[in-house]
Amino acid sequence: MKQQVTLYTLSTCPTCKRVKRFLEERNVGFTQIEVDLLEGGEQWLASKEVKRHNPAGTYPTLVVEDVIVGFDEQRLKDALRLP
Amino acid sequence: MTPEGLYDILQRYAASQGFELNADREFTLDILTGLIRNEGRYGYRSCPCRLASGVRDQDEDIICPCFYAKPDITDYGSCYCSLYVTKDWNSEKTPHVVVPERRSAK
Repeated sequence: MKQQVTLYTLSTCPTCKRVKRFLEERNVGFTQIEVDLLEGGEQWLASKEVKRHNPAGTYPTLVVEDVIVGFDEQRLKDALRLP
Repeated sequence: MTPEGLYDILQRYAASQGFELNADREFTLDILTGLIRNEGRYGYRSCPCRLASGVRDQDEDIICPCFYAKPDITDYGSCYCSLYVTKDWNSEKTPHVVVPERRSAK
């Protein structure tokens, strides 16, 4: 199962662009959400989502989500960083 | 105001405070472009590395230079955005770390 990678950024933030470039140079597929460019309610929802993962609510925030289905010992170990 | 014009002004401001601007000019001009964009859309130069509310009273602490810049420069050699830095930070005598956010989440 593929990882879901979401990058929350501000359009004005150079460090956000650095992380974006880092992902692009390594051909990592990701969804970018430029939170400051969203309107009212959408921005509120996106910033709430950022704080769910990163309570400080700072940018850039990169969320890498991995879903493991069933008992796949190696994947469980990898995801949980177990020996 | 162009980023280059703002660069010249803020370079003098930084020197007056005993700081420097980040020596990575391209990165610094990008920060200044963000500051100018924020001034255009909010009416004040809020930190380009933080999400502004657009309400001046709520963003007072993050108008650049932000309330947290001096303690961050003292502790880490760099403000949160890496716009204002120390000479030692620019020469990499001070390690470059991710400056933790001092502002309480709103």
